[in-house]
Amino acid sequence: MSRSLKKGPFVSPKLLKRIEEMNRKGERKVIKTWSRASTIFPQFVGHTIAVHDGRRHVPVYISENMVGHKLGEFAPTRFFRGHVKSEKSSKTGRR
Amino acid sequence: MSEFIRSTPPKRSPQRRGRTYRVYNQEVFVPDGFLAVGHIVGVHGLRGEVKLESYTDFPERFAPGERLRLGDDLAEVKIASVRPHKKFLLIRFEGVTDRMAAEQLRGLWLFVAEEDAAELEEGAYWIHDLIGLEVREESGARLGELVDVLVTGANDVYVVHGEPGAEREILLPAIPEVVLNVDLAAGVMTVRLLEGLLDAEAVD
Repeated sequence: MSRSLKKGPFVSPKLLKRIEEMNRKGERKVIKTWSRASTIFPQFVGHTIAVHDGRRHVPVYISENMVGHKLGEFAPTRFFRGHVKSEKSSKTGRR
Repeated sequence: MSEFIRSTPPKRSPQRRGRTYRVYNQEVFVPDGFLAVGHIVGVHGLRGEVKLESYTDFPERFAPGERLRLGDDLAEVKIASVRPHKKFLLIRFEGVTDRMAAEQLRGLWLFVAEEDAAELEEGAYWIHDLIGLEVREESGARLGELVDVLVTGANDVYVVHGEPGAEREILLPAIPEVVLNVDLAAGVMTVRLLEGLLDAEAVD
């Protein structure tokens, strides 16, 4: 069953408060959180949040198209083990 | 087709040079000058289709008519048909028309010559080129060696191991604010650490 619309999307109140505080001050600091169930709000965009994957905090840069998803979706709890020399690439975003 | 239908496991030709990689608990030999693009993990149906796990970012690599190299002896194969199935691709090669022939291909890897590899857009690098780079801060201070790339669904994350005995691994988000420069020739990646990246403030 989906969550009641009356309550709105879930976000950890402490996390939202800290992000809004940083937005007011114009700060951009990495913060780490265990709250994988928190929904990504528009206020989060542009911040880097280190989301716990059960073992460590994975730094995730929040972009606009991630709004509405949960933080945990971007910190997988199982990672691919071992990279063979293959046609797989990684984007640094730098041009 | 008969050249790669075998009853015994493939023998690696002794003169071929390459490197062995470990993927999960399996050893994979990649000959020099080639890139792995897929792994045949099983067969499907009776008409010679094989189940392929893709190891390429470029799905057009498996378009019908494409030619690839198969197994350690790099036999050339041509793709006759392809269709997606769950997280795999079901591929039929020309000349493989029944399940018996497809069974012989189980476990083999598909390769493509490095010079035929797809062109990368600016700011993108092959993962195998990134692994092993020395990671330095803007100031020139050495942070460690890049040992792994985590694919998260958002930005990739580079795992950096510091000097032996250094406190822990460092996870760097692959975003332009952090990765300033990649010099593959010199084997150095220059990064800028975001405020709080090493000692992030904890919020529940």
